[in-house]
Amino acid sequence: MKSFIIKRLLFGVVVLFFVILVTFIITRVVPSDPAQKWVGARATAEQLEQATIELGLDKPVYIQFGKYIEDIFRGNLGKSLRSRQPVIEELKTYLPPTIELVIISTIAAIFIGIPLGVASAIKKDKLLDHFSRFTSIGAVSLPVFWVALFLQLIFYSSLKILPLGGQLGIKTELIYQVPDITGFLIFDCLISANWPVLKDALLHMVLPGITIALYPIGLVARMTRSALLEILNEEYIVAAKSYGLPNRLVVWRYAVKNSLGPTITVVTLAIGYSLVNTFLIEAIYSWPGIGSYIAISVTSLDYPAIMGVTIFSTIAYVVLNLIADIVIALDPRVRL
Amino acid sequence: MSNLKTKGSRKTLTLIFLTLISIFLLSGCNNNGSNDVDTSELPTIAFYAYDSEPVLDWDPSVGTSNEIIIYHNVYETLTRFNSETGDIEPLIAESYKVSEDGMEWVFNIRKDMKFHDGTDVNAEAVKFSIDRTMERNMGAAYIWGAVQEIIVVDEYSVKFILMYPSPIDIISSSSYGAFIMSPDAVTNNDEEWFSQGNEAGSGPYIVDSAKMGEEVVLKKFDEYWGGWNEQFYDKVIIRKVSEVSSRRQLVESGEAQITTYLPAEDIEAMRKKDNITIITSDSFTNAAIHLNTEVEPLNDVRVRQALSYAFPYEDVIKYAAGNYGVQSKGVIPAGIIGYSEDLPQYKFDLDKAQVLLDEAGISEDGFTLSYNYSSGDEIQKKTGELYKAELKKLNIELEIRGMPWDSYFEMAKATNPEDRQDMFAMNWWPENALPSSWFYNLYHSQDEIYWNLSYWSDPIFDELTDAADELSTSDRELAEEKYIEANKLVIEEAPSIFIYDSIKVYATSKEFKGLKANPAYEGVIFFNECYPEN
Repeated sequence: MKSFIIKRLLFGVVVLFFVILVTFIITRVVPSDPAQKWVGARATAEQLEQATIELGLDKPVYIQFGKYIEDIFRGNLGKSLRSRQPVIEELKTYLPPTIELVIISTIAAIFIGIPLGVASAIKKDKLLDHFSRFTSIGAVSLPVFWVALFLQLIFYSSLKILPLGGQLGIKTELIYQVPDITGFLIFDCLISANWPVLKDALLHMVLPGITIALYPIGLVARMTRSALLEILNEEYIVAAKSYGLPNRLVVWRYAVKNSLGPTITVVTLAIGYSLVNTFLIEAIYSWPGIGSYIAISVTSLDYPAIMGVTIFSTIAYVVLNLIADIVIALDPRVRL
Repeated sequence: MSNLKTKGSRKTLTLIFLTLISIFLLSGCNNNGSNDVDTSELPTIAFYAYDSEPVLDWDPSVGTSNEIIIYHNVYETLTRFNSETGDIEPLIAESYKVSEDGMEWVFNIRKDMKFHDGTDVNAEAVKFSIDRTMERNMGAAYIWGAVQEIIVVDEYSVKFILMYPSPIDIISSSSYGAFIMSPDAVTNNDEEWFSQGNEAGSGPYIVDSAKMGEEVVLKKFDEYWGGWNEQFYDKVIIRKVSEVSSRRQLVESGEAQITTYLPAEDIEAMRKKDNITIITSDSFTNAAIHLNTEVEPLNDVRVRQALSYAFPYEDVIKYAAGNYGVQSKGVIPAGIIGYSEDLPQYKFDLDKAQVLLDEAGISEDGFTLSYNYSSGDEIQKKTGELYKAELKKLNIELEIRGMPWDSYFEMAKATNPEDRQDMFAMNWWPENALPSSWFYNLYHSQDEIYWNLSYWSDPIFDELTDAADELSTSDRELAEEKYIEANKLVIEEAPSIFIYDSIKVYATSKEFKGLKANPAYEGVIFFNECYPEN
């Protein structure tokens, strides 16, 4: 197990290196003028020249790459060409809101998706199964931006019970001291026992949370259903039933537990997906997260920022996959 | 057996039900709010729902982007351009004098002004700020290109010595690159101080708090020299709300007081609501298509004129710009020297275009032109499509290509004219109310391609605008004549198709009063002029 983890981590580092290399080359090949972005759109030729030297763009690409790798080890990802802020600071600002949102929606996905999948497996081809299939396929296939806009119209404009977007309401921000300890708002509210802000923060999370959770809910439900159906036909389940064991015990203890492998893989992949693909949802809900940051960085060819988010998402995928493998390996049938 | 299963699903149902109940309860409390806070003591708040990040760069010497909407409330400039009268009005400078030859400008500073850190606004601070901007040499530092030296004459007067005559009074009113900051605050703090969301201004509002890339909260500066009206906004929140539908809903619900950058369809729908006011104003932004005058057949002036006649101005303004634009009269929008009501305009006329094409000896088989626009810009895209339909009638094929800005700007600067596009769609707005922003950048002969994307060059035009620039400090009337003449020349030579000067639109909630949109400061709301009507 230990050697497996070490091997996988080393492999992860190799993957990361090549991802950095390829992204670095691509961002240099794409036509763009980083120096001009740095000084401003209408800068003079002389200003541009000065910026080119300042940014080290006058040096050969391999030297620039070496410098970049060296800086990474110092925890320096360069400065964004757009905002001229350190990329690492920007990542620290934009990551926590997205991570919180993804954690909450993943929890929702597990607690709604698995029961839904189990219910439809047990009631295969009954009304409940059809209903569950309908909702989960709907959840996977409905365009998120449509769902997001629809939810806003209903809960904000018509019913007026939930906020439109953002992390906190304007009044909350002005009246209460908003805690900023770790950058994770919900967590900070909890540790500083700041209940009014926590309440407002949770309310602001409902709509984006539901929207993000839809896709993993559908995915988890479908995956659980098919995995469970397969296992319910296994001989040991039939044997357990014939021993007269209570049905609930057979289903949850023997069948569901053994069917969770593929579900866990799917959940971890869904987390990775949600972390970097929340752009539309974040844009619609004015959520100050990493999705919008990625979108802006890419469209404005802000290459230090693009490199930064690429490194982050590569690490996220490597770690999440590793976690999935470890969790699955806890099943004694699996040998690593 | 079935009993057990029903129990399971009942549990799930209960769970869902409980979650819903708690959401409703939570939101219920939120609406009442009264348990927690006495709402009568709340400050008056103006919430500006902005489409993008309110601040990219906090350094007033550097920022040339969205941040001016904050800067102009927090910092002040020596002068300000009054778009209604076309005059330069005093702000930090109480008065100013220029020498006969236009080479020396003396500004007298108002005496009762304080920066937010409590230090005095004086000549030293003015010199410090503009020197710093020039030294940093980022962003709009180039506006000070004519300045050789700034001298502190006495505590409240400062002298600009120039290398060539230049209208420093107008340059001082620039929308960026001309802010005056507290030397104390800047020198006593390190490099990172600004980027942490700090400011060193003397404007009517102070930065209360800021969240990177998302939101800035301003609060009223009590000691502001300009004083305060009876009604005012204690606090101003400028928050990024990138979705159009969200900005619209926020204003419609009354949560936000003001927003902008709305598509025409949304503006029309909002006009019908009782609780919303739509405010329109002129804008110094105009849209044009630059023709590659270095390739055949566009090097023939008759072909260029034909293309100007073949352009469906009315349709484009109506269907592409949603009627938020007026057909341009040449290069300069109304409100800036160089514009004149009497300037000629091309009117859509395919027959005239055909005659000109025949004169130029264009064969009946026609030719193909490429039209490059910035992908994602729906207006430029629709413009291209409407134009294409008309050109087809003249046997001219228009190839419409949406490209990311970087790629098509790079392509436009290719050394071989054949490698460039034939038509380049672009919007232009000035850094200050000077015509040279258009004339010099877009049409003056230049050694290297930069913004002169029609690659057009004409010694008579150069001479006219150079002379006018020089005269603009000593004899503005004569300068204006020359600018208009230059403008006329460009219209005749038709290196570009001048489409429209855009109209700026704001949607505000009914009680938000006092907004005076100033085209010289695009998107800026001077919040100290605004107030909530009870």
